Amino acid sequence: MTTTAAQQVVIAPMLVALVVAIATLLSRRSKRTQRALSLVGGGAYASAVVLLARRVRADGAAVYQLSDWPAPFGITLVADELAVFMLGLTAIVAFAAVAFAVFYVDSVGQRVSFHPLYHFMLVGVTGSFLTGDIFNLFVWFEVMLMPSYVFVAFYGRRQETMAALRYVVLNLVGSAVMLVAIGGLYATTGTLNMADMARRLANAGAYGIDPGPVLGLAGLLFVVFALKAGIVPFQFWVPGAYRAAPAPVAAVLAGVMKKVGIYAIIRLYFTVFAAATVPPGAPLLTGESFLAFFGPVLLVMAAASIVLGGVAAVNQPDLDSVLGYSSIGQAGFIILPLALAAGAEGPLRVLGVTAALVYALNHAVAKGLLFLVSGAVYDGVGSIKFEDLGGLTGRAPFLSGAFLLGGLALVGIPPLSGFFGKLLVFDTAGQSLTAGLGGGPALAVALGGAVLTIVYVSRTWNRGFWGETSKAVDTARNPRALVVVVTGLALVLVAIGVGFDPVYRAAQAGAAAAVDTGGYVDLVDPTTASEALADGGNESAGSETAETVRGLLGVGR
Amino acid sequence: MTEREPTVIARTITRVVVPLILVTAIALLLQGHNQPGGGFIAGVLTVTAFALTYIIYGLDYIRTELLDQQVPATGAVESTLVRDLGPVFGVGLLIAAAGGLVAIGLGFPFLTQAVLFIEHVPLYEELELAGALVFDLGVYLVVVGALLTILAVVGLE
Repeated sequence: MTTTAAQQVVIAPMLVALVVAIATLLSRRSKRTQRALSLVGGGAYASAVVLLARRVRADGAAVYQLSDWPAPFGITLVADELAVFMLGLTAIVAFAAVAFAVFYVDSVGQRVSFHPLYHFMLVGVTGSFLTGDIFNLFVWFEVMLMPSYVFVAFYGRRQETMAALRYVVLNLVGSAVMLVAIGGLYATTGTLNMADMARRLANAGAYGIDPGPVLGLAGLLFVVFALKAGIVPFQFWVPGAYRAAPAPVAAVLAGVMKKVGIYAIIRLYFTVFAAATVPPGAPLLTGESFLAFFGPVLLVMAAASIVLGGVAAVNQPDLDSVLGYSSIGQAGFIILPLALAAGAEGPLRVLGVTAALVYALNHAVAKGLLFLVSGAVYDGVGSIKFEDLGGLTGRAPFLSGAFLLGGLALVGIPPLSGFFGKLLVFDTAGQSLTAGLGGGPALAVALGGAVLTIVYVSRTWNRGFWGETSKAVDTARNPRALVVVVTGLALVLVAIGVGFDPVYRAAQAGAAAAVDTGGYVDLVDPTTASEALADGGNESAGSETAETVRGLLGVGR
Repeated sequence: MTEREPTVIARTITRVVVPLILVTAIALLLQGHNQPGGGFIAGVLTVTAFALTYIIYGLDYIRTELLDQQVPATGAVESTLVRDLGPVFGVGLLIAAAGGLVAIGLGFPFLTQAVLFIEHVPLYEELELAGALVFDLGVYLVVVGALLTILAVVGLE
């Protein structure tokens, strides 16, 4: 079976990142070439994502069978509306961050493989969003984490080494747990293909699957994704790692890699495990979808994240710490509508996931922008401690303006996308309340969190950007190239908010794809040839392979 | 490099064993696509052969006798070695990725494989050449390059 160019587009973003990573690795001798390649590569990645998005919008979701092995045996890549939405968010942040890095990272840093590692990280992120195979997801997580270990330890001073040690140990434990959980899922469901797993879980009895252990293993796996998303109680690595990593990488860690954990929660729990029902014997939840079990868990974690992140961010000594703790709170805001969506059904569930996606996009771009501003401030002033800052508005109007925009997006001021994100979160909570699904506490927490966001953003603004011009700021140099990149990203942030309608439609399509388990299964079509044969070969998509098997067996001639 | 010379036994055995290891590595590389073996294990095996010669004969011997190079002052040896090894795993990655990209050029999904049977090969009789060999070769180079670099860097300490 040959594959047309239109189908090859599915794998294009991943291949572009891979080729760029290798090219930058091989061009290490010439720093100038390497930087140029890296920058062009970032642009090529963004264009590949745009091509894929167009293809998905025109012809619907696409499936790609690596090595031409049919599902469920081969590795499936699935580019549906949800994956494409996440890739779009990645492309924006990744391109801005690489453009920033070209000017930001010093020559020693460039020499120790910044660019190859950066693009390998991008390969891992892209693979995680595209894959339709749960073991393959583990592999992409590892591909994504390996470079990030190096980046957290990048500057190699005492503080960074300590943060890196914590980060590495935690993630290694997380990876081990993930592997155990995936092995267990394979043992209980007999498949690793996500669509096949969803299909089998929906009809657990017929496939001889006991849903009890599956629920437990899904819970174990959930811990790993919560760790990656950095929500309470797995948040403690977040501020240290973000502080230690170089600013452009911190932007990607906070903007994109956090969202990989959230994406995995949406994909696995709303698409795959939602198909399964809780076995009899469990109190309260018997006969309900697995999601009903995870809803309250998500709600508690989200509420704790919003409160802890918000409170801790108020009084931090430096810019990066504020942003790090704020990331915990904002991740809570993304999880909150998911928690409500898990307990709801139909349109409300779609609304909840849409809210989470919009909020994720807003947080990715805004927090990415803020980390880049922090990097530019560090480059210019030489410090990001509030005691050295003050009066930046006078010396660096563009940087300050970009920070203000990013901060206002976190707070949620129209017309920025943060406003729509918050609006959708509150809408979800309100509708959940009127439907009697317990949106009350969620509404209260979201309100409190919004107030906390206003407090820490305005406090940061007052301490760092307004007030008396400090000595360090007065003698600061102006990192012009960095300011241009930051301003560009700030304009993108504004554009997302002003032209919100297409973004909203994309998010809605993504959410609809996420909760449509049947559509996902039909898309991948994991029916094996022998099953198709047992059905008499009537199933349209499986019939071709059934024919082959029949030919091999000499049946029906 | 060490003050004490290795024994005659050690040197003789190394001389016998190193070619055997290398041949085994190649055999594992060739059959890796559907039998135990593959690029990774072949690479590791090759590195053990190198490591053995390093330990028994020392780095200087390899550079003067095998590579026919001038030996600069100690310390610089390893660092030039690190520099020379640098591109090896880059090229390995390139080969592995290119092996997958060829399939796309031919209109198949990424990494699609094909098999070619070659008859009447001495020793093997029938040799099964799989497209996966290209990928394995890339993996082999990545492993050899990476492990030798690690050895050279650790040797510096």
